[in-house]
This record gives sequence, C-alpha cells and structure tokens, in this order.
Amino acid sequence: MTLLVALTVGLLFAIGIFQMLQRNVIRSLIGLMILANAVNLFLLSTGAYEGLEAAYTTADQPSSDPLPQALILTAIVISMGGTAFILAMLIIISARYKTADMDEVDRLKK
Amino acid sequence: MLIVSLLVIFAAALIAALFGLPALNRRLSITRLSWLLAGAPLVAFILLASRVPQANAGNVYTWQWEWLPSLGLSLGFYIDDLSLFFGLLITFIGTLVVVYTGQYFKGDQGTWRFLTYLLLFMVSMLGIVMAGDVLTLFIFWEGTSILSFLLVAYKTSSKSARSGAFRALLITGGGGIALLVGVLFLSYVVGGTDYATILNSGDVLRSSEFYTVILILIALGAFTKSAQFPFHFWLPGAMSAPTPASAYLHSATMVKAGIYLLARLNPALGFTESWFWLLTITGGITMLTGAYQGLKQNDQKALLAYSTISQLGVLVMLIGQDIAIAYKALVVGILAHALYKSALFLMAGIVDHETGTRDMRRLGGLAKVMPFTFVAGFLAALSMAGLPPMFGFLAKETLLATAVHPTLPPIAAELIRWSAVLAGALMLAQAGFLIYETFLGKPKDPDVHGHEAPVPMWLAPAIPAALSIILAIIPGPKEEAELLSGAAQAAYGETVKVSFVLFHGLTVELLLSIVAISLGILIFVFRHRVRAWQNRVLPNLSLNDVYRWMLQAIDRGAEWATRLQQGKLRIYLMTMIAATVLLVAGLVITQAPLFSYQFSSADSQLNSSLPLLRLLSLGVILGAAAATVVLKRDFSAILALGALGLAVALLYVLEPAPDVALVQIVVDILSLVILVLALIRLPRSQRRKAQDLTSDSRGSSRTALIWNGIIAGTLGLLVAAITLFALLNRPRESLVSPYYANNAKIETGATDIVGAIVVDFRALDTLIEIVVFSLAGLGIYTLLYHAARKHGDQTPAEDARERQGLAQEGLAQGPPLPTRGVGGARASPFIRVTAFVALPLSMILAATHIMYGHDQPGDGFTAGVIISLSVGLWYIVFGYEETRRRLPWLKASNFIGAGILLAVLTGVTAAFVTGSILGNVDFTESWAYMPSGFHISTSFLIEIAICLAVLGGAIHMLNTLGHPGEVEA
Repeated sequence: MTLLVALTVGLLFAIGIFQMLQRNVIRSLIGLMILANAVNLFLLSTGAYEGLEAAYTTADQPSSDPLPQALILTAIVISMGGTAFILAMLIIISARYKTADMDEVDRLKK
Repeated sequence: MLIVSLLVIFAAALIAALFGLPALNRRLSITRLSWLLAGAPLVAFILLASRVPQANAGNVYTWQWEWLPSLGLSLGFYIDDLSLFFGLLITFIGTLVVVYTGQYFKGDQGTWRFLTYLLLFMVSMLGIVMAGDVLTLFIFWEGTSILSFLLVAYKTSSKSARSGAFRALLITGGGGIALLVGVLFLSYVVGGTDYATILNSGDVLRSSEFYTVILILIALGAFTKSAQFPFHFWLPGAMSAPTPASAYLHSATMVKAGIYLLARLNPALGFTESWFWLLTITGGITMLTGAYQGLKQNDQKALLAYSTISQLGVLVMLIGQDIAIAYKALVVGILAHALYKSALFLMAGIVDHETGTRDMRRLGGLAKVMPFTFVAGFLAALSMAGLPPMFGFLAKETLLATAVHPTLPPIAAELIRWSAVLAGALMLAQAGFLIYETFLGKPKDPDVHGHEAPVPMWLAPAIPAALSIILAIIPGPKEEAELLSGAAQAAYGETVKVSFVLFHGLTVELLLSIVAISLGILIFVFRHRVRAWQNRVLPNLSLNDVYRWMLQAIDRGAEWATRLQQGKLRIYLMTMIAATVLLVAGLVITQAPLFSYQFSSADSQLNSSLPLLRLLSLGVILGAAAATVVLKRDFSAILALGALGLAVALLYVLEPAPDVALVQIVVDILSLVILVLALIRLPRSQRRKAQDLTSDSRGSSRTALIWNGIIAGTLGLLVAAITLFALLNRPRESLVSPYYANNAKIETGATDIVGAIVVDFRALDTLIEIVVFSLAGLGIYTLLYHAARKHGDQTPAEDARERQGLAQEGLAQGPPLPTRGVGGARASPFIRVTAFVALPLSMILAATHIMYGHDQPGDGFTAGVIISLSVGLWYIVFGYEETRRRLPWLKASNFIGAGILLAVLTGVTAAFVTGSILGNVDFTESWAYMPSGFHISTSFLIEIAICLAVLGGAIHMLNTLGHPGEVEA
C-alpha cells in the first residue's frame, strides 16, 4: 500500500509539473491544483498509525493519527485561497496582454 | 594614552568635515585651516615620541576590548618599537603634507573634502601600525583602501583619475579579501586573533598543514598593497591624485602598509624556505622592473612612482632574509625612502603648481627661478641615488652588505648582489635624470614659466631632504638608534644592532657601491641613448592591458550568463525544476541508502481496511489526472480536476479522516465553481487559441512537450522514490498525538480530536488561516475592481462596448446589464424552489456544523463554505442582479471584518481568563438546560468567527468572478 501511495504521489507530481509547464494558463493552474492534492495525499500518509476508526476520544479500536489531518485541513484552505487569487491574476493578464498564452507574457524582459 | 593620538587626528578630520558647511567655510581660508589642522598630527607625533624611551626598554603597550568573547574575538592595540617607528613616520610626514596642502590648494575653499580624507587616511594608517590583532588590522587596512580611492579620485571629473582610483581599489581590495581569508586561517591555526598569541606560535604555524595557504594569502594582501610585481601597475595609474596625496600615500605611508604587515608577521611566518624564495624572488623582480621602467618615463610623478616600486621591492626582498643585517637594512631603508621620496614628490608638486606641467620634455633650467626648491630636490635626489654622505647612501650600503653576507645560498647570493647593483645604478640614473631635466640645462619649452613657491610650500620638502643629510652625519640621540634597532628586532625576532656609521672601511659592499655609482653615472651620461633603446625594446608590454582584458572578460561572461533570462516565465520554471531535480537526484543517489531497500512483501500488501475501495480511488485519481492532460477542452479538464478532488476525498474517508474529507469535498466543489466562473471571463478567442496550443503537436511545440515530459517525469520518479523512502522510515510512535488524544476531552470538552486540534490546541494557526483566506477574497475584489481600473486595463467586455460606441452613452463603467440565470427569465419553477429552499437549509446545516463541530465531523470552515455554495447556486439560478437584490445583507467585507474581530476578541478574553490566547473557556459549564453536547464556549465563538470570515471571503470570490458586466457580450 505504501508503495502504491508513493507511486501515486510521484505520478501526480509528474502530471502536475507537466501541466504547469504548459502554455495554456488554465492548464497551468490545473497543474498547480493537482500538485496541491498530491502534497495533501503525502501528508495524509505520514500518519503514524494505521487506523481502523476515526480519531475520536470515544474510539475503541485503534484510530488514525489526528495531527497530519489537522495540518491537511489548513493546507487545503490556504491553497484554495491561493488558487482563487491566481485566477484573478489570470483575468488581469488576459485583459492586459490580450492572451491566454503564457509565452506572450514577456514584459518581464523589457 | 597613545590611543589619544588616534583620536586627536580623528577629531581633526571631523573639524575638516565641518568646514564643508558654508557658514564655517567663509571664516577661514584653506591655508589657515590647514595650519590649524596640522597641529593634530604634530600633537600625535609628540605623543608617540614621548613613548619611545619606554618602548625601547621593551614595554609593549596593549589595550584590548572583548568584542565577541564566545568566539574569542577581541579588538585592540599593540604598540611596540616597530609600531612607533612607523607611527612617527606617518605623523611627521603627515604634518608636512597637511601644511603643504594648504599652500597647494590655496584659494580653493572646497579643499575641506581633501583634508577630511587625508586626515581620515592618517587615522587608518596609524590604526594599521598600532593594531593589536589581525581583525583590527584588517579593519584599518580596508579603511586605507577606501580612503586612498577617495583621494585618488579627488578630481571626480577626470576620467583618468576615476579609472586609476578604481584600478587601485580593485587590486588592493582584492588583496584585502585574500588577506582576510589568510588571517582567518591564521587565527584558526593559532587559536586566537591577537598578536601576543600569534607571535608566540611561530613553530605551530610553520609546521601546520595550512602554512602555504596562509603564506600565499597574506603575501597576496601585502603584495597588492605594496605594489609588488605583478600587482604593481596600479601605482603609476594612481598618480592622477593631487600631489599632496601622492606624496603621502604613495611614497611614505600606504604602500608601506604591506611592508609593515610582512615585518610584523615575520617572527610567526618567516624563516622558512617558501618565505625566503617567495619574498626574495618577488622583491627582486619588482626591484628590477621598477628601476627599468622608471627611466622610460617622461612624467615626473610616474618616474617617482616606478622608483617607489623598485624600492618597495628591495624592502620586500630584505624581509625575506634571515640574517640580522637585513633587518638593519630594512629599517634604515624605510626611513631613507620615506624622507627622500616624500621630499621629491612634494618638489614635483611645487614644479607642477608653479609651471603648470610635470612633463620633463618641456621643463628645464628652473634652478635659477626656484632656487630653494632646487636645493631641496637636489638633496633628496642625492639620497635617492645613494651617494654619500646622504642617508640614502647608508641604506644602499646596508643593502649591499646584506647581499654579500656569507650565509646566503650561492645562487641567490649572486643574483641578489648583481641585481641590487643594477637597480642601484638605474636609481641613480633616474634621480639624475629627474633633477637635470627639471632644473638644469636649458628650458625646452618657451611657454613654460615658473617662479619660486611661497616659503611654507618649499619648506615641506626641504625638511625631509635636510634630515636625509643631517641624520647621516650628526649622531642623534641614542633613543633614535635604539628605536630603529628595536623596530628591526620586532621584525626579526632577535637582536639587531643599528648604527649610523657611514664608512666602515674598504669592504666588499663599498666596492659594489662604487661599481653601482659608476654604472649609474654612465647610464645618466648616456641617458638619451639608453632611453631610446628602451623604447625600441618591448615598448608596448604593459600589465595594464592584461587588467583591461580581464575586466572585459568578466563583462562578457556576465552577459553570457544572463542569456538565461529570456523573459518567459515558462523557461524560468523549467530551469528551476530541472536544477532542483539534478541537485536533489545527485544528493539522493550519493547519500541516501535507497539502493539498499528491500521490498518486503508486507509493504506492498494492501493490509489495511477496505483495500479494494482504496485501489479504486487511487485509480480514479490517476485517471482523472491523466484526463486533465489529455482532454482538449479546458472546461472538460476542469471537470476532470473536480473528479480528482472528489476521489482524493474518498481516500481521506477511507483513512479514516472524516473532517478532512468533508473539507476536501466542499472546497473541491467551490474551486470548481470559481474556476468555471473565471474561465467564462476569459474571452473565447483567447481561450480557443490557448486550447489549440495545448493540443498542438507540430514541430517545435512537440519538442517542447517532450522536454516538459522528461523534466516532469524525472521529477515524478524522484519524488516517488523520496516519498517511498520517507514513508517506509517514518516513525510509528507519535509524540504529540497521544497528548492531544488524552487531553481533548479534559481541556476542551471535545470528542473529535481533529476538531479540537484545529479550533483549540492550534487555534492561532486557524486564525491565521482564515485571515489568509479572507485576504485572498479581498484581494480578488480589490484587484479586479480597483487595480484594473487604475491601470487602465480594458477588459474585453469594455473593449466590445467601446467598439460599439456604447461608451459615449455613459454605459462604460455603469451598472451591469440585467442578466438572467440559467434557463432565462422563465426558469423552471422546480429549480427556483430548490434554490430558494437551499439557502436556509444550508444555513441550518452550517449552524449544526458550528454547534457540534467538537463532536462530529465538520467545523466553522465547512459551515461557511456550504453557505457560500448555496449562494453560488442562487447566482446560477437567479442571475447576478436578482441575487444581489434579494440578499442585500450579504455584504462580504462586513462579514470578514465581523469574523476576524470576533475571533480576536474571543482570543483576548480567553487570554485574560486562562492565561493563554485562544485557550478554552467554557461559559456554560454549569448550565443545565443546554442541548446535550453543546456548550457556549470560546470554541463555539471561534467556530462562528471562522464561518463568518470564510463566508465573506468566498462571497467576495463569487461576486467578483461572477460579475456579468465583465463577460464578453
């Protein structure tokens, strides 16, 4: 199982980075979101315990590790905020450069 | 007490700087100011001189300040005979130069700048010779570099001055860095930075493995400062400095700093083979180069510069020896050179000042017009030439005595002997050349007129010149000889006898002197032929060209390196990722024991609960990710992304982690909605073009795709390997989670541990998290409404409206066009009712999440997002206009403010009650009539706050992105 999770995380990373390097800005953003999901998945699997029940104080079976879960919560929220902001920036880029192609956003050089 | 001398000169520098103020500047002429300021170095001279008897008796004055005791660093001063010797020279000639400056710059009230730099330089130079440890030395060393830069570039409008100053700074600064590194090595080997430790650790140093490194680095520092070959070419270039500066820096003081350093460190680093050969060879080559080049020059100051270089070479050579008489020659040579060179420079300055030129092809016959200057110059030149009975003769004699000492190795002995003779001859020729062409003979250029300088001005060179003869003939107080011998002793480490007897009898060195003098006179008589021959042989060989070539190479290299800056974000990203992959892969392969991993069957078994469902969700995740790549339309790719998020949520559920799964689901749907809204705002034409790019697999874009694939694939492989390794070796015992599990019920009254962590134990994290989320929402609002308008970005809708001429009708920035939701004005009542009902139902659901967040999955965050999702449904069904009309209370910014304010107030209240911010306070602990499991506590209030803030942020996002006015008509 660990092997499969590791492979999935690696594959998601690969796909995420591949998408980020695309010229279409929307695909790029999709790549970023895939990366965020991959990282959250990794965080989840770092839990110390293999749980059979959720982390409640009334649990009678061994429960999963609650600490990484709390961290993932925060991560999901913040990455969502970041994604929304990036979307607003994409809209501005589209208005200013009149394009949705990353390569045409080249005023950094001038 | 002795440090007062430093402070006095520093105070004088400050006074000079104050004269930059126009109010003060008017009151004193520069000449009077310089008379006033000359008192400072004079006072310093007297202070230092009063210390001589004690220093001669062997008392070293030390003073230390513990700077960083933990690192063993201290700053301080160490003043013995060697320091006093140099210090007296510095202050004596300094006094003369300050007075001279007043005369040289007469009438120019802006000279306060020059005086400030000069006095500050004096402080730095004194600091070098009085420093008590290598750090203080370095600080003052760099101080001299900077101040000499300022002095050489004093005439800022002259390009040659600027480039000469820069060249000097580059070379001496580079040497300074080498010196710093060398000194750090030194203190590491010795175990301390102060002189006491260093000078006593000579044997440790000499046998250390770092000895060669230390030697080379410190030698670099000294050689660059003292203009040794091949670093000597900055000195003639620095002659564009005003003559008072050249007289001070480049004859008497700054260039001697390297000599001082080598002399000071000689007991610790010297007396080895490498020391001997390095210094002897470098010094010898420098001596000959300087002597040879000097004769070629036409500019008085350039000639003097080269002769300085030659003499510095002699001094370096002497330090390399390990016989006592070499050190006598050293101190005598330093003294002689300082006296005659400063006199000659000052004389050149007078000639330049009075006639307007320094070119010896145009000067001549000035002896009649400037008698006093002539006499001063003549005496100094005699000393330079090494003719008896001048002090310079004594110096040359002692040098030659060293050269014939029987303990020198034979090859070295012959070389040193004859090169010293040759150099001596050339120096004599140079001295004669200088004086003859300037003062004697017939004037060569009729336009050049001169007259005698004012008395104080020619007095300045006259004093050292007179001393050159007086010191040699009249035996001075015994302190003087003791001072010199003490200085030599400090450099040598053992007793050195110094006496000023001119005539020792018919010795080998006397014969060699006679040979040198005769040869010199011969060269002088035939000077024109010799110079012509010099100009034919190797006329254009100059290290300046090497220097210029090096600078150009650096420029070109930098230009080549910036070719990486294409201006395209994608290239930067690719480069960064490729570099990361290479670095991490390199590290992983060489360091981590990855290859020793054995696949145990246990790891690859799905021995957790519900294995097939997990497999399914993993499969969906990968399939959805692949779909986002393969699908052509952006909209479909976004839907695939949504599917991916939901499959990840399924994995969370199976963990089991219900809270996280809930948050993932709602966030996934919300981001789906926002993505689609944003997609609509991009104009269709742009989107279509970008879409075509994605699916384009022609030529160049195919190579780009392949490269992307390779980089991404390698990264993925690397990440998979690292992840696998990390997961297999992760600790199976958590140190923190048992604490949370045991204390959740007791301290916070919660059964849901994750909820307790988020809202209570780590409430500050959550507070910051909602602040970030709200900022994202506010940022979107500000960006799209205000910033875009300010920059004049035209959204496509505005473009379209303008084209259609609607702008003139005042509709450009006006309220949006009325819109309808899905299905038009007559939407199906079924969906309208569903939407109507969804909002209050979602609010009830949200209230449940908030109230029971502690015992059930769900917290304030899910509550906020659920409400905003139902508002989103309203936008879709009713359209923007009607939603805004029906929900006037939904002002997003107010919600954000209310939420964060509530959270902060709750935290502060809890701080007062429990002593820690955001601690848990249960307000209704004893109330009997609460619903079971529900308490009004700080956790409850914080959940409300989270809900409000998140709701505000999400509404901002929906509002701004869903504004129909910006959609292309």
